[in-house]
Amino acid sequence: MVLEVDIRGMANLRKIFSQIYDKYIDKIYRFVFLKVNSEEIAQDLTSETFLRGWESFKNGNKIENPQAFLYRIARNLVIDHYREKGRTQVVSAEFAPIVDPREDLEEKAILTSDVDRIKQVLVNLKEDYQNVIIWHYLDDLPIQEVAKMLDRTEEATRVLLSRALKTLKQSIDLRNQ
Amino acid sequence: MTEKQLIGRIRELRQIKPRKDWVVLTKSQILGEVERERVSVSFFPLWRPALATVTVFGILFISFGFAQSSLPGDFLYPIKKIAEKSQAVFVSEKELPKYNLEIVNKRLDELNEIAQTNQVKKLAPAISEFQANVSEAAKSLAKVKGQDVEKIVEETKKLEENKKKVEDVLATKIETEELDNVLSQIVEIQIKDLEGRTLTERQEEILAEAQNDFDAGNYSQALEKILILSNP
Repeated sequence: MVLEVDIRGMANLRKIFSQIYDKYIDKIYRFVFLKVNSEEIAQDLTSETFLRGWESFKNGNKIENPQAFLYRIARNLVIDHYREKGRTQVVSAEFAPIVDPREDLEEKAILTSDVDRIKQVLVNLKEDYQNVIIWHYLDDLPIQEVAKMLDRTEEATRVLLSRALKTLKQSIDLRNQ
Repeated sequence: MTEKQLIGRIRELRQIKPRKDWVVLTKSQILGEVERERVSVSFFPLWRPALATVTVFGILFISFGFAQSSLPGDFLYPIKKIAEKSQAVFVSEKELPKYNLEIVNKRLDELNEIAQTNQVKKLAPAISEFQANVSEAAKSLAKVKGQDVEKIVEETKKLEENKKKVEDVLATKIETEELDNVLSQIVEIQIKDLEGRTLTERQEEILAEAQNDFDAGNYSQALEKILILSNP
């Protein structure tokens, strides 16, 4: 009877985590990919993120904000990844070709070029700048939530976002020259 | 590039997505047993009594099915024996000799299969099973009365044919002395009974042939002729 309850409890946990996985897998992968610029490494670190998340979740740790929880794990893994072998973030060309449905080839070429440039510049920004840009502009998280995840005030986060955007733009302009 | 354009371009990065096959595979690696547990845990308790009953009967049904083709020495063979014994409970005393002869024939079929397929290890248990059933058949045959002879003729004939077949394959004699003795007694009683009756010339010829078969130990053939004389 006790075993049965345990099994049922475990099945429920799996079900809940399965939904969390489905909801956040794309976001976490993208977050990691934009920091490591490698499909293979992004896959490794993303799967490790969810594995650690699942281990913690099934061991009964209360997770109030799954998104923040997973991003925290992912951030730490990326930091460890660069720290591990003294790696530096390498700007690389095509790692994840971006498909765009636009028909106009010229416009598409310009856009792809711009987007790739952003991708390449973003990977070299400092971590807080990357995070605030990804979370606010890609994940559409409100400043309030981004502030919580960065453990900053909302005002400080707005300032950070503004600086991040400015730095990104400068870096792009610099590359365009 | 204006700030607005820049933000627009940043948003284009949303197109970065993991490969679907990798997403599915990774999920199954992390939460591998989700689907299996979903079936066994959430479904089973609701239907436990019914499901358990159906499962038990299903397993029994399948086991009995497979057991029918099992041979002595096989894992499922005891189930086949249980099935035969259970069936015997529902057989009337009059039909029991015939039923037991059928079982002996089954044992001979098994022996034949074992011999044909050269399953040496199964030979000893098969012969042992055969002898046990011969003994049982002999006991029930000892109770056969005149009017019941008809019931055992066919199976007795089949038994002799099967026995010969197995003996040919194994190149050795199969011992059925106990059964032969009983059959001999049955045939002898029947011949004596017929000798006391008034018979036509033709019937006397048939009786003489039956006597010859009896003397030669061909009890099934003797019984066939006795049957012709008993039911003119």
